[in-house]
Amino acid sequence: MSEYHGCELLEDLFYDLDYVWVRPEEDGTLTIGITDPAQTMSGRLQKARIKKVGTHLEAGRHVATLESGKWAGGVPVPFAGEVMDRNEKLLEDPHLINIDPYNDAWIARVKPDDPAHALDNVSTGNVAIAALEEWIKRYGVQCMRCSE
Amino acid sequence: MEPIDQIMQHDHERLDQLLEQGAEAVSQGAWPEAAHLLETFRHGIVDGHMAVEESTLFPAFERQKGDEAQSLTALLRKGHQDLRIFFEEMAEAIQEQDAETFDDLLSTVQTILKQHDAKEENELYPILATALTDHGEAAGRRILDFEAEAES
Repeated sequence: MSEYHGCELLEDLFYDLDYVWVRPEEDGTLTIGITDPAQTMSGRLQKARIKKVGTHLEAGRHVATLESGKWAGGVPVPFAGEVMDRNEKLLEDPHLINIDPYNDAWIARVKPDDPAHALDNVSTGNVAIAALEEWIKRYGVQCMRCSE
Repeated sequence: MEPIDQIMQHDHERLDQLLEQGAEAVSQGAWPEAAHLLETFRHGIVDGHMAVEESTLFPAFERQKGDEAQSLTALLRKGHQDLRIFFEEMAEAIQEQDAETFDDLLSTVQTILKQHDAKEENELYPILATALTDHGEAAGRRILDFEAEAES
């Protein structure tokens, strides 16, 4: 794991180089969440809406919308696919995203329509980390992680 | 002609009203009218308001303020990018006559617009008259032309 301006960035995840991280699972689904700098920029999240299981999404469409007192935005999927599971805990307590954005606060698991090309529009490793550091600089983010 | 900051602020108000009218049509189940109002709103905000900001106003602000402008204009451009997707999703909800999804999207979009517009009105628009060589006349004229087109 690397850290930049207090933001945790995991080298083994895939990123859309904006808000979203993607983790391939053994069953062929791809888990989606938002990054540490994105959760910091959003502020304390108060509302989360996640698309229902079975919903089909084209690439770029929002699998979830999040709102805090100062921010609202969508969580786009970087590939087309069907929602197979969603994190029900976030519907009750969206603030979990501010506490543990990479683990407990995953948002949805999506089965890609075209597994061979599902990761074509995301980056990983050092290339991704360098691009995310540029993102953090561009938006002037200094990360803070909530403990509860 | 009004100063550019006033023209842009009034355009925000006009577009907010159009969106409200579209939402009202959805609540009444007047789907064709809702589709027409949302498309009028989308055309005005995406092809008019945002296009003028991205092509003229943001670059002028960046020239005037240098590096310190970067985080604001990056945030505003990102907001436009997100909103364009939400507008497509709202149009799809109307097409599918799905009032529940439309209302969820509307709530998020109105929150985004409220915060986005306040940032523009407080931090960007006040310096436009000095940042633009023609004091914003050409940009203002483009916005007024869009408003006139919507009314015709």
